Amino acid sequence: MTLEPTTIMPLDDVRIIDLTHMTSGPYGTRILGDYGADVIKIERPGTGDYTRSMPPFYQDEPGLERSGLFMFLNTNKRSITLDLKSERGREIVKELVKGAEIVVESFSPGTLDAIGLGYEDLKKINPKLVMTSVTNYGQNGPYKDYIGIEMNLYAMGGSMISAGDVDNEPLKTAGRMVSYHAGYVAALASALGLFQVEFRDAEGDYMDVAIFETAMHSIDMRLGRMMGYQYTGHLATRPGRAVAVGGGVHPCSDGFFLMTGGPRFIPNIIRMIGMEELLETPEWGTAEGRADADRIDEFLAYIIPWTLERTKEEVRAACEEFAVLGGPLNTIEDLINNPQFVAREYFQEIDHPTTGPIKYPGYHNRLHREGAEMPKRRRAPLLGEHTDEVLGELGLSADDIAALRKDGVV
Amino acid sequence: MAADNSSVNTLGSPNPGNPTEPDSSLPLAGMRIVDFTVVFAGPYGTMQLADWGAEVIRVESITHFASTTRGMLARPAVPTVLAQTGMGSGMPNSEAGERPWNRSAVFNAHGRNKLSMTVNLRTEEGQEALERLVSVSDALVENNLPQSMERQGITWERLSKINPKLIMIRMPAFGLDGPYKGYRTWGNHMEAISGHPLIRTYSDLSPEYAPAGVPSDAASGIGSALAFLMGKRYLRRTGKGLLIEAPTAENFVPLLGEFVMDYSMNGRVWTQMGNNHFYLAPHNVYRAQGEDQWVTIACWNEDQWRALCETIRHPELADDPRFCDNESRFKNKTELDAIIGEWTADKSSSWILERLQLVGVPSGAVINERDATEDRHLEHRGFFRHVEHPEAGTHKAPMTPFKSMNHPGTGPRRHSPRLGEDNDYIYKSVLGYSDEEYAEFDKKGHIGMDYDPSIP
Repeated sequence: MTLEPTTIMPLDDVRIIDLTHMTSGPYGTRILGDYGADVIKIERPGTGDYTRSMPPFYQDEPGLERSGLFMFLNTNKRSITLDLKSERGREIVKELVKGAEIVVESFSPGTLDAIGLGYEDLKKINPKLVMTSVTNYGQNGPYKDYIGIEMNLYAMGGSMISAGDVDNEPLKTAGRMVSYHAGYVAALASALGLFQVEFRDAEGDYMDVAIFETAMHSIDMRLGRMMGYQYTGHLATRPGRAVAVGGGVHPCSDGFFLMTGGPRFIPNIIRMIGMEELLETPEWGTAEGRADADRIDEFLAYIIPWTLERTKEEVRAACEEFAVLGGPLNTIEDLINNPQFVAREYFQEIDHPTTGPIKYPGYHNRLHREGAEMPKRRRAPLLGEHTDEVLGELGLSADDIAALRKDGVV
Repeated sequence: MAADNSSVNTLGSPNPGNPTEPDSSLPLAGMRIVDFTVVFAGPYGTMQLADWGAEVIRVESITHFASTTRGMLARPAVPTVLAQTGMGSGMPNSEAGERPWNRSAVFNAHGRNKLSMTVNLRTEEGQEALERLVSVSDALVENNLPQSMERQGITWERLSKINPKLIMIRMPAFGLDGPYKGYRTWGNHMEAISGHPLIRTYSDLSPEYAPAGVPSDAASGIGSALAFLMGKRYLRRTGKGLLIEAPTAENFVPLLGEFVMDYSMNGRVWTQMGNNHFYLAPHNVYRAQGEDQWVTIACWNEDQWRALCETIRHPELADDPRFCDNESRFKNKTELDAIIGEWTADKSSSWILERLQLVGVPSGAVINERDATEDRHLEHRGFFRHVEHPEAGTHKAPMTPFKSMNHPGTGPRRHSPRLGEDNDYIYKSVLGYSDEEYAEFDKKGHIGMDYDPSIP
C-alpha cells in the first residue's frame, strides 16, 4: 500500500486508550489526537469526565454538553462510557488494550493497580504496550498522596516565588497552564515509548509523569534558576516594577506595553524615542553607564511621555522598526483579532451541536506535508457518543451492548 | 508499509568517539540532530533529544555572539554579570572568568549532553561543512527570526534536497509567514501579545506591575521534541522528510484554552485575576512565618472546607452564612482570606503544608530555588544528579522531566559543551575532513574556543 504523503498524519494508525480525566492528562491525549491518533476516551457512565461539569459553559448555563473547558480539551477523541468498578467494565478495558499501542491515565497512584488495570496487569495482555501515568507528584516519594490544584503545583514546582512584584504576593500563572504543560510532557513520553517499540524493537515501557517535576524542570526556566542559585547563592526574587533601565510595563494611550531594557537594548530605545543626543553623554554612551540601576527612574521620565502619546500597536510597530524587544499587553479579544493570528488562520472554527461553529485555539505545530493543509479537527464527543461504535469494533452485538447498558456497565 | 526505520544513521550505534557517550540502549542513540537553537525554548527541546541519547550538535560561531544564549554579552562587565545574577542566571561566584560564555547558568543548565562546533557560515567552506552535516543528520532544529536563518541558507528548499529524509523543525515566535514574521521578540513579549500577563496580574494594582515570567518556553521545547518523533514516524511511513513549523506563540496560546473558549462562547474577557480562581474560594497565597515565605491553600469541596475550618481552629466558620457554601465564600473571599492569613502568618510554610495535607486540604508551599535543590521528595525520586563542568564546577542538574521504567536514571551525562569544545570530533569523525582540511578550517578562522576579540 502506498501512503500518500499529503494526507497521512504521523499517528493515524495508532490507537490510544484514554483513561485520563480533568485537565492535565486530557491535554496530552488531545495533542496525540492532533497528530492523528484514534483516542478512545473512557468516561464514567452518567456524568462523564468531571470537566463536563466545569465552566465556562455556553451562555453560562451548566450542562454535560455545554462546557467550553471539556470541548477544548477533548477534540479528535471518541467517547465511550464504562464503569470501571464493574468486572465486565474492566474486561472491556482489557479487550481494548489488546488492540492499542498506548494507554494514558491520570488516576491517583495505585488506583488502577488496585482494580487489576495497572501496568503489570496490562503488559501481560499486551507486552508492547506503552503506558503513561500523569499525577500530581509521581508514583512514589513522600508527596505521592498530596492532593493539589494548579496553583499548589505551580507554587511547589514553578518559579512562583519570583513571579510578581517585590512588595506584593507571588502570582500564579493564568488558568491551568502548569497542568496543561505536564499533559504536553505526557504526550512526549508516550511518543518516546512508542518510538522504542517501533524503531528499537523494544518491549513496552511505563512512563511516570509528575506535574510537580515537569514544572520544576522548567516552567519559567526554573532549570536555569536552580543552576543560577547554586552558582551565586542568590535566590531569584520578585523584581520591582522595572528590572533594568528602560525595561518594564509602560502605559500607552490605549493600554500597556512590556519592553525590555538594559545596556544592550537602551541605545535602540533611545533612537526609537528620538533622543539620540543622549548617546553622546557619558551616562548613556557606555554599557556600564546604561547598566546602572540608579538610572531606572531617570529613564522612565524619557520613555513614558513617548509611549503615552501612542497606541500599543504604534509602540509595537516602532519596536519592530528599531529592533527593540517588546510587546503589548493584549486581552484575549486583542489576540483573537491580532493580524498575525488572523493572517495565519490560527484559530479554528469547530462546529458543535450546543454552540454551533465557534473559534478554538489552533494546532501547536503545523506539518508542511508537501504543501497540504492540516486536517480539520473533530469536535469533542458527546458523552458516550461512540460507545456502540467502539464496542461494535470489539465484536459485541447490539444485544450484548443493550445488556451492558441495562446493567449500568456502559 | 514503506518501512524506513533508521534513515541516515544506524539506531543504537552511536558514533564511536562521541564525547557525551550515550548508552547504546537509550531510545534515540544513533540519531543525529543539527542544533541552531538560541535562548531557551529551542535549547530546552534539543535537550530532551540529547538526554534520550541523540547526538545533538550545536552549530555556533566564534565570530557571532547570539545574545542571551551563552549570557547577555560575550565579555560582560561587572554590572552586567550582577544583572544576570539578579535574574537568576548568574555565573559561578558572580565572576565572569576567562571565558564568560562557558559560565552562564541558563546555558549550562540546558546544554548538557550536547556537542558544540564552531563554523563561519558566511564562507563557502563553512556552507560546505553545513551541507555535509545536514547530509549525515536526522533533523535540524532552530528557533531564530526566520529571516536570519534564511540569510544563512538554512531553508527547507535547499536542505531537503541535500537530505530528502531530513526532519526540519522551525520554531519562530509567530510563524514562517504573516505580518509578524520579522518581528523579533523573547518569550515574555510573545506571552504579552498572547494575553497572558494581563490575565495573570494583580487585581488591585496597575498592569504596570504585571509579571513577565516565561512559562511558555518550556512548552515549546517539549513540543519540538515531540515534533521530531512525529517527523520520524511520518518518514517511516512515507519515506519522506518533513518540515514542521512550531511557532512558540502557537504552542503557547492553547495553554490559555479556556479563556479563548469563554470569549468564543460568551464574549467574556478575563483580566487581572491575580491568584483568584474562576469560581472557587478559598483559593489564594498566604504569608507564612519568615522572610518571603508563602503558602497556597484552596478548597474545591465542602469536606475540604470543613477540614480547613477545624484545622485553623474556627469550626464555627463552616456554617457561618458568609462562608457556608462555595458561592458565599467566593462572594466574601476578601474577608475569608484575612481570616486564613491570620492563621498562616506565624507558622512555617512547610508545617502548614503538611498539616493541611494530613487532613486532605489542597495546599502547597511557595518554594524557592534553595528549597527545590534540597526537596526531600525530589531527593527520594532521584530528580537531581551532580554534573562537573570544567569551567564552572560541580552542581546538581535535574534528570529527565519524566521517568521511563526501561531507562531509569536517564539524565545529564556530560557538562554543557564549552564553545567549540567538540570541533575535532565533529569535523573529523562526523564530517569526514582530514587532518589537513581541519587545519585549513582552523587557519581560516572557523575553529576556536574563544569569541573574536572584537566582540563585546
